[in-house]
Amino acid sequence: MKKIVISKFSAVLVAAAIILMGGMTVSASAETANDNYNLYCVQCHGSAGTGKGINAPFLAVAPRNHTDPKAMGELSDANVALAIKEGGSAVGKSTQMPSWKHSLTDAEIKDIVALLRQKCKCTGAAK
Amino acid sequence: MIKRGITVFALALLLAVPSAFAADGAAIVKKCGSCHKLTGPAAKTIKEVRERKAPDLFYAGSKFNKDWLVGYIQNPTVIRPAGTVYANHIKTTGDTDTVVTPPKCESKLSAGDAAAAADYLMTLKDPKMKTGVAKLGEFSNAKAKMLIIKTEACNGCHQIQGNGGVSCPTWEGIGKRLNPDWVYSFVQNPEYWDPKIWMGKRDLDEASVQLIVNFIAAQK
Ligand code: HEC
Ligand code: HEC
Repeated sequence: MKKIVISKFSAVLVAAAIILMGGMTVSASAETANDNYNLYCVQCHGSAGTGKGINAPFLAVAPRNHTDPKAMGELSDANVALAIKEGGSAVGKSTQMPSWKHSLTDAEIKDIVALLRQKCKCTGAAK
Repeated sequence: MIKRGITVFALALLLAVPSAFAADGAAIVKKCGSCHKLTGPAAKTIKEVRERKAPDLFYAGSKFNKDWLVGYIQNPTVIRPAGTVYANHIKTTGDTDTVVTPPKCESKLSAGDAAAAADYLMTLKDPKMKTGVAKLGEFSNAKAKMLIIKTEACNGCHQIQGNGGVSCPTWEGIGKRLNPDWVYSFVQNPEYWDPKIWMGKRDLDEASVQLIVNFIAAQK
């Protein structure tokens, strides 16, 4: 009986610790890859990731289709991360792909690269 | 008789004058708070941004030109073709996104109320914003377009002289709308004003910033 009470108490403690840690994550304002993609990228790359966002008809260069295993497979993870961080011009592509280095942390960019790999169902080319 | 007439007239004046001035800007603007944030800070998380119904007004006095403001709140027009937060107003058909007509600003103030409301809104300033920093003057339109269209591709998201994207505010009439000193600050550090804005900060030198500020100020 006593034992049960103690274990209940420790369960409460663990739960409290998890809630506290969750709170800390929020205040560090790390966002999920999906939330970031839906806010920053969908305007051009589209909700489906195929490059058909609301701005796409007005761009001189078509946004990359993130679901295309061939085009995305040709890019290494490092190349994709660099394009997101420094913009298209850093990887010899169009300046219509902006730099996101002031909006996203390196960790968030890494998560987005993983998300893009899910979208293309492909792995990156070796560097 | 005449005397009495004058007295009545004077009394009427006494009553009328204060009530003409009685339009209380703060009280009028308070009602706008059902959609607009009237106190800071700006949304810090994507979740909060996605809940935003209308642009923040708690630094209206730093952001807007007063003449424009007085006119706008009597008869608002569309500034953001895809709404305040574009991501909340899109529909996907097949794999193609289109804009679902977003709600508009519902301010419909009389000229008198608009003047009072604008007087109050212009007091909502960010004391940290530097003023007198935008240097307006002659500039090369060709150079400005080279920077804005070719190098920075601002038209990817903004409609500029009739051409461009729809996820961000149009540049049609933007020179009438925005205080050049605020533009000077915003283009250098959009996240200062709106931490999760979907306009990536650019690294611009002073000359480029001034060129952009001048070009924007000229879009009347
Ligand atoms: C203003 C429109 C726009 C926005 C916003 C945008 N992109 Fe792009 N993106 C483009 C365009 C246009 C290209 C194609 C560039 C080319 O092929 O020259 C591109 C290309 C890419 C590529 C391929 C780069 C390469 O080396 O081929 C990746 C990866 C990418 N974008 C990811 C993202 C991510 C992630 C985001 C959000 C954080 C994002 N983009 C936001 C327009 C945009
Ligand atoms: C029903 C919600 C709603 C109410 C109430 C409302 N507005 Fe708005 N307002 C909006 C929306 C949405 C926009 C964005 C319009 C656009 O960008 O096209 C807006 C835009 C504005 C803008 C331009 C902001 C900018 O950054 O460009 C000002 C100024 C403004 N409203 C003032 C007011 C005032 C003053 C009132 C009250 C008298 C008011 N609004 C009431 C929804 C509202």
